[in-house]
Amino acid sequence: MKNETIISIQNVTKRFPVGEGEFTALKNINLEFQRGEFAGLVGPSGSGKTTLLNIIGSLDSPTEGAALILGKNISELSHKESAWLRNKHIGFIFQVYNLLPVYTVYENVEFALLLQDIPKAQRKKMVMDALDWVGLASMADKKPDKLSGGEGQRVAIARAMVKKPEIVIADEPSANLDAANTHAILKTMRELNENLGTTFLFSTHDEKVMSYLDRIVHLRDGAVEEDEIIKSKMANK
Amino acid sequence: MKLAFQLAYKNLIGAGLRTWLNVGVLAFSFIIIIFYNGLIDGWNEQAKYDSIAWEFGEGKLLHADYDSFDPFTILDGHGVLEKEQLENLTPVLLRQASIYPEGRMLSVALKGIDVNQTTLDLPTAALKNSLASIPTVIGRDMADAANLKTGDNILLRWRDQGGTFDAAKITIVEIFETNVPTVDGGQVWIPIKKMWKMTGLENHATFYVANEKYQPSNISGWKYQSQEMLLSDLNKIIAMKKISGSIMYLLLLAIALLAIFDTQVLSVFRRQKEIGTYISLGMTRSQVVGLFTVEGSMYSIFAMILGSIVGVPLFAYLSKIGIGMPAASRDMGIPLAERIYPVFGIQLVVGTILLVVIAATIVSFLPARKISKMNPVLALKGKLQ
Repeated sequence: MKNETIISIQNVTKRFPVGEGEFTALKNINLEFQRGEFAGLVGPSGSGKTTLLNIIGSLDSPTEGAALILGKNISELSHKESAWLRNKHIGFIFQVYNLLPVYTVYENVEFALLLQDIPKAQRKKMVMDALDWVGLASMADKKPDKLSGGEGQRVAIARAMVKKPEIVIADEPSANLDAANTHAILKTMRELNENLGTTFLFSTHDEKVMSYLDRIVHLRDGAVEEDEIIKSKMANK
Repeated sequence: MKLAFQLAYKNLIGAGLRTWLNVGVLAFSFIIIIFYNGLIDGWNEQAKYDSIAWEFGEGKLLHADYDSFDPFTILDGHGVLEKEQLENLTPVLLRQASIYPEGRMLSVALKGIDVNQTTLDLPTAALKNSLASIPTVIGRDMADAANLKTGDNILLRWRDQGGTFDAAKITIVEIFETNVPTVDGGQVWIPIKKMWKMTGLENHATFYVANEKYQPSNISGWKYQSQEMLLSDLNKIIAMKKISGSIMYLLLLAIALLAIFDTQVLSVFRRQKEIGTYISLGMTRSQVVGLFTVEGSMYSIFAMILGSIVGVPLFAYLSKIGIGMPAASRDMGIPLAERIYPVFGIQLVVGTILLVVIAATIVSFLPARKISKMNPVLALKGKLQ
């Protein structure tokens, strides 16, 4: 793992308007993540995990403070620049997979590459490679409604990984999966992390997920409660 | 843009029945708009052609005192041209008269025409070849209204130059079929030379019909009306008909566009997760707006294809066999054939396609604009915004 800060969260506060007042989802968060980390944000519902992930994914911006992703302050990016950042450098894995229902598995995985104007032959190789990584090459022509939950999430992983992004954000990826599928997808993600050096950032309260993480950031009420490095795993790397 | 079309195509095909319902309604609108306009254009062409062939020729030289809309001008609205001015002109003398079929009195316009003329389609050769003392040709409508048939002799009463009533028997030598009511209903055509003798208006004419070789020039006491001027009333009627017809097809188009608008509004709400996913995958909001707009306008492209599959053979068939018009339509007073052959010109087809595509794009863009204000985080959660 290179010692290179890829995500830098500096004094980030996020408030949402609620009725007449405001709800503070994140309170003065300071965190850094290095390239190749396999880390997770852990905490109960309402602790700010997803809000922080959304900011890191440039889907949202902080009310105060700065979030530097790959050296870019996401608050200063235009819509186009932040779309480019997401398209090129950040992959998303969602709790409910968010696969596009009218597209096949192949087309879902191919989508991000279409936005990058990659030639068709190269695209095909990249998509099939990504489907190979998750063991779904044989299901390329299937529609999402023909897949099981585990298969759907593996397609989502392939979609996030096909462009070989620096960062993959996985928001409760195991929430709709049974234990066997959870372990299967986490093993896949772990292998991709190790083979491609991709930084994985999870939000979870699933202990099965936590057992795979190198680092666990505990959040409570929008603040960092504990930043725990799992030394045994780090040492193994 | 190419990507937007590719994605929109996949989305629409993937949407299944919803897409085909919209496309079906829009295709129906396409067909009706083109059909209706084609019918009007066909009628227009036919009416102009018939009016020229039966009544207007290349133009008319009218006596200055004669006004075709004022029957009181018939009495004095006539005159004589010099012999050298008569070249390429067919004289028509008009007088008011009455006929008495079956003992009833019927007011008619008595028209004398040169029996050798070839400018108009009126069957004047029948007048020339007849041995009757006053051979007469009338149109089918006139014959039906007066219950007359070929060979009938009826009494005609007219006033001569001095205003004295005179009467004689006329013989119907031919009943002609025409689509032009202004040479048919209430009209009695006799040889002009006979009429000159009957009225004492030797060499007089109320108007002259010009043929294609006639060169208009200023002639004192006469006014020249070109073919274009003579057709202007007909053009106005057709234009009015088009406007009233356009209300019908705009309503139809509005229903089709409302269906697209509804689908788009629903899409923006129902597909919020999908919108959020597009944004998370790296599309800009404006690209997503573009995608939804292209989806909407693609309905019109699909409709055009579907409309062509159904419409092209249908229109080709109708252009060939024509469309029968009800007999009552002839009472409108404008040239209307028993069958109208619709004309589907390039301008009509391209114009209709552009109208529908542009309108569909606009109604698709309006609800899609909402996406540009959407919070992608809420969209991903599928929360209504």
